[in-house]
Amino acid sequence: MQEGAMSDEEDFVPDLVPAQYAPIPVLIITGCLGAGKTTLLNYILTEQHHKRIAVILNEFGEGSAMEKSLSIGEEGNMYEEWLELRNGCLCCSVKDNGVKAIENLMQKRGRFDYILLETTGLADPGPVASIFWLDKELGSDVYLDGIVTVVDAKNIVKTLDEATEEAMSEEPAEQSTLGTPARQVALADLLILNKTDLVTPAELDEIRSRLVAINGAAALLPTSRCRVDLDKILDLHAYEKVDFKRQSLGTVTLERPGSVRRRDLESFVHGLLWEKTVADRRGRPVHMLRMKGMASVVGEERRLILQAVGEICDTELASRWEPDEPRVTRLIFIGRHLDESRLDEAFRSTVPVVSEHQADAV
Amino acid sequence: MFQECFKSSWKDHKAVHKKAEKRDSDRYNPWPKYFFTGALRPFPVSPKREVPESIPRTDYADHPKGVPISEQKVRGSAYIKPLDDEEVEGMRVACRLGREVLEEAAAAVSVGTTTDHIDRIVHEACIERECYPSPLNYYQFPKSCCTSVNEVICHGIPDARPLQSGDICNVDVTVYHRGFHGDLNETYLVGEVSAEARDLVTVTWQCLQKAIDIVRPGEKYREIGNVVQKHASERGYSVVRSYCGHGIHRLFHCSPNVPHYARNKAAGVMRPGHCFTIEPMISQETGVDVLTKREGTTLPRFLDSSS
Repeated sequence: MQEGAMSDEEDFVPDLVPAQYAPIPVLIITGCLGAGKTTLLNYILTEQHHKRIAVILNEFGEGSAMEKSLSIGEEGNMYEEWLELRNGCLCCSVKDNGVKAIENLMQKRGRFDYILLETTGLADPGPVASIFWLDKELGSDVYLDGIVTVVDAKNIVKTLDEATEEAMSEEPAEQSTLGTPARQVALADLLILNKTDLVTPAELDEIRSRLVAINGAAALLPTSRCRVDLDKILDLHAYEKVDFKRQSLGTVTLERPGSVRRRDLESFVHGLLWEKTVADRRGRPVHMLRMKGMASVVGEERRLILQAVGEICDTELASRWEPDEPRVTRLIFIGRHLDESRLDEAFRSTVPVVSEHQADAV
Repeated sequence: MFQECFKSSWKDHKAVHKKAEKRDSDRYNPWPKYFFTGALRPFPVSPKREVPESIPRTDYADHPKGVPISEQKVRGSAYIKPLDDEEVEGMRVACRLGREVLEEAAAAVSVGTTTDHIDRIVHEACIERECYPSPLNYYQFPKSCCTSVNEVICHGIPDARPLQSGDICNVDVTVYHRGFHGDLNETYLVGEVSAEARDLVTVTWQCLQKAIDIVRPGEKYREIGNVVQKHASERGYSVVRSYCGHGIHRLFHCSPNVPHYARNKAAGVMRPGHCFTIEPMISQETGVDVLTKREGTTLPRFLDSSS
């Protein structure tokens, strides 16, 4: 039987197909139970957008299941695939099993244009984001595009209050962590404010100010029934560029004119993230969830982009400064126990502004 | 133009495949569909060796899937545990015993010896020293050490293949003694080895030494990869990216993650009491590594030119 099949195959000369190398964006979609994540995903999957989109449900990198289901939407049709997850140890392999499973599936079944990853309502999106924020050197087929958090306008204020109370009661106040709903808001690169038709304009204002107080750096997209313009939520490139258009309230921003040394800036960031070198007035160390920045580095014509999620951080040179553009270094911090004056003090003492003729030790 | 060329060469291409299939058809091959990247082929693997009950075991030793529950618990955490003096002493003892075991294995490496025989020596040397061989049943790994020959990058499974003159063979030993894992490996030259292979092994060793040279409190873990890659690429080699060094103490593998390639985002700064491995894998090829699955095993074996 098999031999027959073989000889058929032999006569057939396949065509050469052009190779595609561009990595595929992965967008993480998070939000509390009932916020409208599934509505959003169904909307994206069934909408005619001429894109082949894969949706991965539920938690990644957790549990011991060997397979995970995956829905693929193509031209308004949906079908199911299975991701085979191998067991593996954390440290002897740098790529998460989930990432490998996606790469394997694309090898077998062809590439997608976009991958959406829905976390459970109870999940902290930080660890999932760090799984997909891979080193470029690994040459992965996927890259992290950003995090979208769907917020239920009707319930978000209550949810945030309850989660805060819960977090406060479970742990001593000194160590209190941000509740999951607030974390989801804090880590968002885009906030979809859903079900706005169910609240009054005055309520909407309160909701906005609550969200901005947690995360002043994310774009906010009000909608009802998750009917959003797909161009606004796909291709965020949130880990490649930094957008300073929105000014922050609760989010701490530091800004200094002039240029700094890359080495100093990186030491400051590593100290902040890994060594907990900065604390607030009550002595509680900064708990950083997300950090973005743009810096002017001495002796460098391009701006330095800084990104961090959880404890993972990276700097990368990006676009050139215009000849007459004022050189400036700006950092945005999203997290807990952020004290602006303490942060500023540490920033000033470890990252001095240097002039061009001091550029010898960049 | 490419299409025409491709199509006109198709018959020759298939003919080569057929010849290769015919040649391979009568020998032992547990993965008939697998495309091998080099000349090395699998040989039969002997039954699992047992460790006496009297020797303290790891949590995965008796787990049906070989899952290290203790490691899974801290999975995803970037926290690097600083060891106290007593724990550091525990590590020193485990590492010293590991070195003794590796020396016994090294003495056995010679033309005609099978890697399975090396595994038996490692296994018995562990037992003599009251050690559990850490690889055994770790995610169902079937043997007591890893032997990676020629193009096998790491995690090679000892089997009945006799070592040949010209082979390079890495033996990776980890022993678990009184609660601590000691992990070390070396690449050995078998018989008359080509100048190219010698150079690869030498440069890999130099990469390790250069990486060790920068280790001190205050250094960033991400710098290790910059040092290793700089030296390897200056000598015309590439760094294998899929595997990294790792934290080690009461757990076999834990934080920190220590990639050997440049421009990595590894988190953390070295502090007194930290314990971790650096194990650069350097390759003559720049290609992507390939995963091979041994029946009944989930720990992968990768094929490429490496040391």
